[in-house]
Amino acid sequence: MSLANLLDEAGLTGRGGAAFATGIKVRAAHESGATLIVNACDGEVGAAKDGWVVAHHLPALIEGARLVTGGRPVRVAAKRGSRTLELLTRAGVDVLAIPNRYVSSEESALISLAQGGLARPLTKTIPFVRGQGRDGNDRPIPATVVLNAETVWRVAQIADRGPGWFRSQGTATEPGPRLVAIGGAVARPAVLEAAAGMPIRALLDHVGVATDAEYVGVGGLGGILLPRDTAGELLWSSTDLARFGGSVGPGVVTVHDPSECIVDTVDHLLTYAAGESAGQCGPCMFGLPAIATDWHALATGIEASTADSRLERRLAELPGRGACRFPDGIARFASSARTVLADHLTAHALGHCPTHPKERHVA
Amino acid sequence: MSPDPSVDVRVDRIRCSGHGICAQLLPETIRLDEWGYPIQSAGRVDARAAKRAVDFCPARALRLS
Repeated sequence: MSLANLLDEAGLTGRGGAAFATGIKVRAAHESGATLIVNACDGEVGAAKDGWVVAHHLPALIEGARLVTGGRPVRVAAKRGSRTLELLTRAGVDVLAIPNRYVSSEESALISLAQGGLARPLTKTIPFVRGQGRDGNDRPIPATVVLNAETVWRVAQIADRGPGWFRSQGTATEPGPRLVAIGGAVARPAVLEAAAGMPIRALLDHVGVATDAEYVGVGGLGGILLPRDTAGELLWSSTDLARFGGSVGPGVVTVHDPSECIVDTVDHLLTYAAGESAGQCGPCMFGLPAIATDWHALATGIEASTADSRLERRLAELPGRGACRFPDGIARFASSARTVLADHLTAHALGHCPTHPKERHVA
Repeated sequence: MSPDPSVDVRVDRIRCSGHGICAQLLPETIRLDEWGYPIQSAGRVDARAAKRAVDFCPARALRLS
């Protein structure tokens, strides 16, 4: 059986967040003779699993990459200054050193950098794996497939242990083992070997969540915010998380620090997001700073009602209007925070903060 | 005379620099956000009008698909 068919049978999907069928990508890569870029950037805020794969399963990762390309060139992308890059370099792997910016590890940004361009997303007209893609100056880009590090490691595991082994974990719609990085206000931050269908509570118990923690982020900056109790009642699956606009995404769970006001935490994250736009697409370049400013107005409680209706409109207009999905992710996160923190935001508008009840809130 | 066939118009978001001519030429499917960048509503566009918008876009940011 061909590798692509094996992956189809296993039901492997991309572990970087987009969850696209890996078999389809690998088949296209074989047909077009694509080279491979393995994304080990841990680009999402709070992500750690790509680095974990490199640190603990590098030989299997390299084997998975070899199976995908059949000997054609492979480069492994990791963030500049990261321990992951250091480990890869020491092992003699051909590396692609990525600037430490959020969108630089996006699929087409990696391709652009690998081609000698800037590490910024490209407009996608045809999938780059087909070999008919073009860069911003209309120059052709050779066929390139980008796969997440965990995905490539799973390819090697499936080739070794078979699709039956893979499907024996997870659920029918989200099969296979999948890594999840849990950090923040926990006793033992960890990368866990999880699978879809596990209770999120079990994952949280494993790392020891701070007793007074109230909020949990799922999916980092492009994910959602949940009250801890709500999260604890859900299963780790995109089916369950979809009820709150989320997905298992890139496998990131963040327990927010209970000593910091959660509205301020979101404020800092959105301000950071605004600065991470590649500045290429108008809706992102102008929209993200505008959203961050609206949220800051909500946090300070100044003219909160005007700011909130403006924010609602801007969030609705943002998705689907960038070359990459960065603005979509930020809109998802901000919308989720706006819903979940409605009561807390109302308190701020009235001049006090539930996290710091004894002081008048100053953001 | 039969109406022109309809097409989809795609905006290249990186090329687009917010001139707004598309919204003038295709007012039924494209409006502008507060910064002048197009917001498309779903639906296909009359092929001749779309072709005109593609030709007139100063940023060459529109494509037919």
